[in-house]
Amino acid sequence: MASTEIYRYLSVPEGNIGLDPEGYLVDLGQWSSTVAEALAEEEGMTLEAEHWEVLEVLREFYARYQMAPAMRPLVKAVGRELGPDKGRSIHLMRLFPGSPAKLAARLAGLPKPTNCL
Amino acid sequence: MSHDNDMPDGELLVILRHGPHGSSWLREGLDVALVAAAFGRRVSLLFMGDGVLALLAGQGTGALGQKGTAPTLEMLEMYDIETLWVEAEALARFGLDEHELMLAPQALTAEAIAHAVETHPRVLTF
Amino acid sequence: MKLHIVNRSPASSRVYGQALSAMGPDDRLLLIEDGVQGALPQLVRYYEDIPGRLYALREDLEARGLLGHCDASVQVVDVDGFVQLTEEAEQTLSWY
Repeated sequence: MASTEIYRYLSVPEGNIGLDPEGYLVDLGQWSSTVAEALAEEEGMTLEAEHWEVLEVLREFYARYQMAPAMRPLVKAVGRELGPDKGRSIHLMRLFPGSPAKLAARLAGLPKPTNCL
Repeated sequence: MSHDNDMPDGELLVILRHGPHGSSWLREGLDVALVAAAFGRRVSLLFMGDGVLALLAGQGTGALGQKGTAPTLEMLEMYDIETLWVEAEALARFGLDEHELMLAPQALTAEAIAHAVETHPRVLTF
Repeated sequence: MKLHIVNRSPASSRVYGQALSAMGPDDRLLLIEDGVQGALPQLVRYYEDIPGRLYALREDLEARGLLGHCDASVQVVDVDGFVQLTEEAEQTLSWY
């Protein structure tokens, strides 16, 4: 569920982007690749092609199901779209360390996965 | 929360007895099913009573723009929730045919429902 | 054995039918709140398929003045009996 409370702002050339206390976009419509890159930079990450294709899968998942996926469905969706080699949690852990479902959803401009504790 | 794959039947049966839009029970039941599945539990869903109306194709958002349940139902397979049942008696009462429902659920007689409840270690009613 | 709990009257709600559909041959059914109306002789026929396995909560019957009107086939239990039924059951299912 997207929070409506702006906790801080992310500064990008287009302007200031409101983030909730957990770093998710308050207005999901403000997402752009620049925003994704700025969010990644805060995490000490640089987005490569392998990251972008996962973010794309996430954005398609959200457009279709109106929910951000937990880890298992994310793995399944990535496997379907990008092939079985990439549809593995170890691949996603390497790209989005820590909690891949949450981090990748955040960078993709999705709300926090609701059914992912 | 890993487990052995030696148990063929589902571990959790979620019974959905409320239709969309009238209350939040349907959504809450689906949320519980999704959380359990996200943790690797084998979840079965039974649509019973008014709950069968959740499976009608062509549902939209509510009058106040409440999110519809159809996208969530379509998402169930991504959570590997593939055991989907519907109460045959409720279908008959509403004059519905199981073939016109989303997700191709299997219709269960009262006897089969009792068996499903019996064989799942956990059953939750919504 | 699972314990099924119904809190709606069979005179006004179909919930009793859902509980009966879900009941296995050893399962028990406890009537609480407005569900205790189902213990009346005129309404107990809805539960004729589960002889000896129908219970009603004394406190809810008393509160509604129905205690003296219960059908003889219904086993009346107080809250302690409710707890005991729950303990004997592997799981409790609520039908509301």
